[in-house]
Amino acid sequence: MTEYYTRMGDGKRVTMTKEQIMNDLQAGTADAADMAGIPSLNANELEHIAEIIMCQDRVVGVSPGNEVILSYDIGQLDFTGDNGNSGNGVDMGRLEAALLHERALGADTFELAHSDYSIKPVKPVISMEMQTMEEIQAEVVAPFFYGAMPNQGLYYAPDGPYGNPADLMREFKIEESMQQSELASAHVTRDIEYVATRLQAAGSDGFNFDTTGSAGDADCVGTLNGVKLLREQCPEAYIQVGFAGESIMGIHGSIEFEGQVVAGMYPHQYVHIAEQAGANVVGTVVNTNTSKSLAFNIARAVTFIKESVKTSNIPVHADMGMGVGGIPMCETPPIDAVSRASKAMVEIAGVDGI
Amino acid sequence: MAFESETKKLQDALISCKVPDIGKAVNEAHEAGMPADEIINVLGAAMSDVGVLFERGKLFLPHVLSAAAGMKNAMSTLDEELKAGAGSSQAKGTVVMGTVEGDVHDIGKSICSTMLQCAGFEVHDLGRDVPLKNFSDEVKGGCNYCGMSALMTTTMTGMKVVIENFKAEGIRDKVIVMVGGAPVTQAYADKIGADLYGESASETTKKASAIASD
Repeated sequence: MTEYYTRMGDGKRVTMTKEQIMNDLQAGTADAADMAGIPSLNANELEHIAEIIMCQDRVVGVSPGNEVILSYDIGQLDFTGDNGNSGNGVDMGRLEAALLHERALGADTFELAHSDYSIKPVKPVISMEMQTMEEIQAEVVAPFFYGAMPNQGLYYAPDGPYGNPADLMREFKIEESMQQSELASAHVTRDIEYVATRLQAAGSDGFNFDTTGSAGDADCVGTLNGVKLLREQCPEAYIQVGFAGESIMGIHGSIEFEGQVVAGMYPHQYVHIAEQAGANVVGTVVNTNTSKSLAFNIARAVTFIKESVKTSNIPVHADMGMGVGGIPMCETPPIDAVSRASKAMVEIAGVDGI
Repeated sequence: MAFESETKKLQDALISCKVPDIGKAVNEAHEAGMPADEIINVLGAAMSDVGVLFERGKLFLPHVLSAAAGMKNAMSTLDEELKAGAGSSQAKGTVVMGTVEGDVHDIGKSICSTMLQCAGFEVHDLGRDVPLKNFSDEVKGGCNYCGMSALMTTTMTGMKVVIENFKAEGIRDKVIVMVGGAPVTQAYADKIGADLYGESASETTKKASAIASD
């Protein structure tokens, strides 16, 4: 029986028969459908993904005319960072990185980023970030944003002034844990307003909020409240809200945004709260399971994202990178897997961008 | 089935994750003559259901903790009778937990620590970016389970170093080594000689509990 070269979720090379691939595709779509209460992919769609996976070309792509927008996160760090943060270890300035992405790599948008890539550490260097934003805006043509993670984890002990909810909960101080989450959430909102409005004043075309909700539901609410303030004060800003995972973690459990509990929301649900907050584009995310095959992970990711595209009123840019969107989690994601997952995401999920 | 109505009330109360309701159901069952160890067994089984609902995103961490707090109160209420019986109020084991050195990711490990605690283990959570030698210190101090987490391919190699340290210090046989985190797989766990790989906090807890009851 013919065996096809493919990958596992940790990037390991394996071969599988078509029957094995189909079994994993069915298991992947069933898992997503069951978790989120959404439709699974139909037989034609699964067959289409199987063909993409079984194609023996190293790199696959979409047909001309079906290309999608490429928006970027992590700024210059994809070049300057080392393997530890999925970069290439090539040192360059932030201006050079912006021009390289715009003129050589076909990026449709790009962004300025602090090396920590979190909102909080930008505060003490805001004047320098504003100056750099202004200088780079004078040279780039593509929309140029500022990008950072809200990263509410930096506001909890030992890095910040609020008690760590995980530690408090282990001591059964549940009320106190929730209260600390709420305080940290409000602090994130204040910091977003402080940082983002200043960068808009320095000429930024918009702001990219990366990994919203990475520290749980309070992080998500803090970010969306910050987005709301930014939208009110900068109506022309182009705001992109990318999430941290396929489900918003309930570390608080009952914190609300605009009257809705956000914990446990899946992509087809959180696209709406991003829109309500004032986002122009929403980044939906599905985490890769390193123990499962590329087939399982692509089918699972496409199932979640397809439903989010169907229900969203604003453009959806699927987060396609190391460990998300069906792509394996390893230092340098293999191009065979990246291009297959991306093609499936465009052709079956119908994403507006990546 | 004896105590059918009490059993149902205990299960419903625990899954509701409301501490006062759990306390009320425990008192009613106890007053009806249900043996303490049977009450705890029913609550323990319902706790597994809470774990499943958590894994499926239907319940969240504070709910799990509230259910665990209710169970902890029940253990305390029934302490004397339990001690007189099989002594089931004792911890299943003592676990040192931590995210390995160089890695600052905290949440997954913390959820796993909480689930283990809820399942009846005593947990020493060292936090994140834990110096590798600290795991050895805890095992020498009496921990018989060691749980290590990593969220980066560049830091997961620290797990192998800890296991090598255990061997060099002659304490490898004293501890069950558990590993997890997004980049970690069963194949990696086998390669470095870990005893247990957990794909999720619930799976880790289930596997650790199974080892503890062997």
